Formats: sequence, structure tokens, C-alpha cells
Amino acid sequence: MHTYQSFRYLLVLVLVCGSVALAATQWTLQPKESKLTFVGTQAGAEFEGTFERFTADIKFDPQDLAGSRFDVKIDMASANTRDSERDDTLKSDDLFAVKQFPTSHYVADRFAAKGGKYTATGKLTLRNVTREVPIEFTFEKKNGSAWLKGSAGLKRLDFGVGQGDWKDISTVNNEVKVNFALLLKP
Amino acid sequence: MQLKNTSTRYGTVAQLFHWVIVVLIITQFVLAKRADGLSPVAKIGVLATHKSVGITILLLAILRLTWRLFNRVPPMPAGTPRWQELAAHASHFLLYALLFIQPVLGWLMSSARAFSVSWWGLVTLPDFIEPNRAAFERLHDWHEAMAYTLAALALIHIAAAIKHHFFDHDDVLRRMLPVPDRRPRS
Repeated sequence: MHTYQSFRYLLVLVLVCGSVALAATQWTLQPKESKLTFVGTQAGAEFEGTFERFTADIKFDPQDLAGSRFDVKIDMASANTRDSERDDTLKSDDLFAVKQFPTSHYVADRFAAKGGKYTATGKLTLRNVTREVPIEFTFEKKNGSAWLKGSAGLKRLDFGVGQGDWKDISTVNNEVKVNFALLLKP
Repeated sequence: MQLKNTSTRYGTVAQLFHWVIVVLIITQFVLAKRADGLSPVAKIGVLATHKSVGITILLLAILRLTWRLFNRVPPMPAGTPRWQELAAHASHFLLYALLFIQPVLGWLMSSARAFSVSWWGLVTLPDFIEPNRAAFERLHDWHEAMAYTLAALALIHIAAAIKHHFFDHDDVLRRMLPVPDRRPRS
């Protein structure tokens, strides 16, 4: 009886450890320290906007890229470019259309390592348009927590961000860069 | 035609500085007026040109003042009343000052709204102030007030040139134009 009990504990322990080793680490986003920004170019000059509210469900392990997964949800109305007038314009129907499409969604589940860096091919859904957006990032563990830092490039018109007059790309460039620095804790 | 100023006339370089800046300032008034009624996208484009022209004026003003330092300034006609001499110096000083003040106010205005200034898409100017709506409103009011001041001073300047040319029959206007003097000077 006693031996049997010990064996059962051992079995549970093995199973638990085994599944932890198999699945990539589940990380918890630290929203205060983390940043998700975008850089647009308007009349030749870059401007930066910050998404102040987003969630990131990050499973990542350099040893287990196959089991890794990013799932990021961005509250489009939380965009802040440090100019209220521009923010209102950005959220209006011709651009982000936040009333109709309040959230954009990024899911990545294919990862590759490349010289100390990682790439992921994920799908971004923005304004109800889904397209592949590759990202490149670094992953650095430090005292138990980890920094996930990287960027992506996309074309705003691919997602219909820019209707009517805003389709013009001579004033507001089509290319937009997205940067992120996420602090993660286990 | 002489590049440098002489004791009686402005040289080609000084004349070019004067007239090019005149054309650019008129352009600035036209662009600023036109921007008012435009759609947001078109407005960004017109204001981008306005900013590029403004910074061009600032650069030309620096070059012009430097050139002036290495040139004698043709004296006013003999017998000019003291008050007219003072008025001329004062208005010239203010006109020069505005060539610096106006572009700098515009530049700060842009920074105050987190719109960095791009000079013809070639160089993005640094932002010396943080985005701040209240500061923007104040700078905007100043920029506008200075524009009216500049227009008023320019009218006085033109009126004085007309008076010299048509009433005093001297060469004060001619010496800023690529035309010979009215009569040989003694």
C-alpha cells in the first residue's frame, strides 16, 4: 500500500514534469513595463503611436519552437500619438474605424531561429482583414523574467487602413513599422 | 553686375537673397491661407510644403545675415531726416528678426503637436519641446500675430520704397534691382 502510494506520486511527478518540458513556457505579460508602438510617416516625418492597452498570451521556449505560440489582442482605441486631434482622426471610420473594429488580433505559431534571433510568421487581423505579417525578435532571459523585443513591417492599405482621401500614400506613407518590447514573467 | 555690395548699390547676391525671400514669404501666406479650408490629408500636404519653405527661409536668413556681415551696407541718401533713418533701421531690424522668429515659432508649433518637421522629405528636424496642446495653441497665436506683423512691416517697407522712387526720385529702390541708377552719382 505504502509503496503503491509512492509509486503513484512518482508517476504524477513524472507526468507533470514531462508535460512542462514538452509545452513551451507560458509567460505572463507585464503590461506596465511592456510597450507596443507603431511608427508611421507623415509628410516625410515619422511619428510614433503607442497602444496603451493590449493583451499578449505568450508561450515561448527557444528549445521548443514547435510548441510556442503568440496571441496578441490590441485595443485599437488605445492608440496614442501624443496629439489628440491625430488620435481622433486615426480612430475614425476611414482609418482604424474603432467603433466597428475595436480589436486587432495577431496570432503566430510558426517560429524559426536565425543567428540568435527569431522569426515568426503570424496572421494579423486588422479591420477584419487577415494577412500574414512576419515578425523578427530577440528573446532574453534575465533573473527568471524575459524580454521579448522585435519589430514588424506592414502596409497599412493591405488592411484598408486608409479609405477615401487616406488612400493617398504620398502624404501618409503606406509602410508602417510596429515595434514591441514585452516584459514577461513565468 | 557686381556680386558684392558697393558704396551705393546692393550686389547681386544681396539682391537675390532679398527677392527670393520675398517670393518665399508670399508663398507662405498663400499656403497658410489655402490650408485652412482643406480636407485633413490635403492639409497635411500643404502644411508640409509650408514647413519646408519656412525652414528654407530660416536657412536663407542665416546666409543672408552672414553675407551682410562681410559687406558694406549702402548708406541712405544724403540728407535723409534722422527720424526716417531711425525708422528705416528699426523696420529693417524687425523684418530680419521675423525671418528668424517666424520659422522657429512654426517649428516649435509642429513639435508641440508631435508633428516633426521634415525639410522637403530630406531631413527631419529635432523636436525641442514636448508635445503640449496648450503650448501649441499659444505658439499658433504667436505665429499668426507675427505673420500679420510681418505683413504690416512689409507694407510700410513697400510704401517707403515707392515714396523714395516716385516722390524723392532717388535710387533707394533701384539699388535693390538689377537696373542701373537713375543718374550718375557725383
